Formats: sequence, structure tokens, C-alpha cells
Amino acid sequence: MEINQIYVNLPVQDVQKTREFWTKLGFSVNEQFSDDNAICVIMKENHIYTMFLKEEYFKTFTNRPVAKGETTQTLLAIGVNSREEVDGMVKTAVENGGSTYSEPQDHGWMYQSAFSDLNGHQWEVMFADASQFPAE
Amino acid sequence: MKINQIYVNLPVKDVQKTKEFWTKVGFSINEQITDEKAVCVMMNDNIQIMFLQEDYFQTFSERPVPKGDTTQVLVAIGLDSREEVDQVVNTAVANGAYQHEEPQDHGWMYQNSFWDINGHGWNVIFADPSQPRSSE
Repeated sequence: MEINQIYVNLPVQDVQKTREFWTKLGFSVNEQFSDDNAICVIMKENHIYTMFLKEEYFKTFTNRPVAKGETTQTLLAIGVNSREEVDGMVKTAVENGGSTYSEPQDHGWMYQSAFSDLNGHQWEVMFADASQFPAE
Repeated sequence: MKINQIYVNLPVKDVQKTKEFWTKVGFSINEQITDEKAVCVMMNDNIQIMFLQEDYFQTFSERPVPKGDTTQVLVAIGLDSREEVDQVVNTAVANGAYQHEEPQDHGWMYQNSFWDINGHGWNVIFADPSQPRSSE
């Protein structure tokens, strides 16, 4: 079984601020799926999207309360194309209201840094360097 | 900006049971990054779900793992037909998941959903390219 696309749905307090944040990080928005209640950020066209839903709206899709940011149910790791893109994204995130919660790690074949976004969702940004992948 | 891959990381109590569950649902395991603390389920070449044993997951976040009484994330995955959607949900339910909502058919999109054995919510969708999209 293989899927053809994924939508990661996350609750946010302010859709407009969330839109500004992710736009500044350099991502495009799928306007067809965006409105006052939700914004759809295109992470990889036709394949990977993140939907940020206003908390009240998010709540209509689950029978449990929305997490208040005191716990972590998910960590999202996303791959980009260079170390520079990793560092650039984390820097831009911090400049725009995000924060870091760990130091960058360089494993040679994988470089990784992380930020916590405006809404406290944690993103691990990585660059996997296939040319340095350790031989088995 | 676009990403090339995503890993959605979710905490679980029992890695082995989780591995059995997702294998039965029909997905392959990426054994290269699977061990007794984590199982990597390949949803396609660019989209993977990492289920981490709670204690291990905890080492990546400053916040505690939720006790299953709140929701921070809902993941929607796209399949190639209505039949695949129902098959995945039915198999999940037959193996300990429970159906979250009744299936919804919007014509251009068919949707079904289950909450897995660890309480994570999954929307399973088929977007029909032959039907005009609407925002309804």
C-alpha cells in the first residue's frame, strides 16, 4: 500500500499570523483550501501539505480537546535540499516569532536543526546528503 | 521553498504491536531505521511515519507526551480509490482501531477515518481527479 499525498493537520490560535509566518519561511499557500478558518501550506506540490486549522475548527474533527501546548503529540521532520536551506529556515523562523529548542546536529550524511513555530509545533529541518550515507 | 520528504513522528506505547498493526493495514516497514524503540512505516518514497516508543519520543521534546486525552495533530492520507480507502479503514478497525466518523462522499473527495491503536487520528481520503473540485 502506498499513499499519494499527506495532509498534516495542526491547530493554531491565529490563522492570519500563521499564514504570515509560513509565507516568510518561503512556502506557498494553496488558496483553494485556505479561508478564515484554515490555511493550507504547500510543502511539496501534489504530495505534502500542512493544514493549520483555527482551534475551534480543528476541534470539530476530534472528540478530544485541543492540546494546550503543554504536551507534544507529534514532531514533524522535513527534508530540504542543503545545509544552507536548513539554517536559513530556522533563522527565519526565529526572527519571526519561532524559537529553537535544540542545537543543530551534523552527522555528516545528515544535518539537522529544529525550531518551534508560532503555535509551539516542533519542526525538525534536515538535509540528508546521499553522497555521504554510511555504507552498510 | 519546497521540501523533499517528511517524517511524521508520533509516540506509541508498544513498538512491536504498532509495527504489526501498520503491517496488517498494508504498509511496508523501512527496516533500516527501525529497531526496538522505533518503527518507520513507509507511506511512499517521500512520506514516512515514525512511531517512537514514548520514552524515546520524550528525549526529542521538552514537553511531556500527552496521555491520550488531547489532540495536537490529525493526519490525512490520500489513496488511489474509494475501495482502498475503505479497505484500509476496515482492516485498521479489524485490528484494534476504531472508526472515528462515518464515511463522507463529496463526489470529488471520499473520506473515511479511524483512530489507531495508540489513539492517533487518521483521515483516509480519495480525491477523484475526474470530478470537479469544490470547497464543500
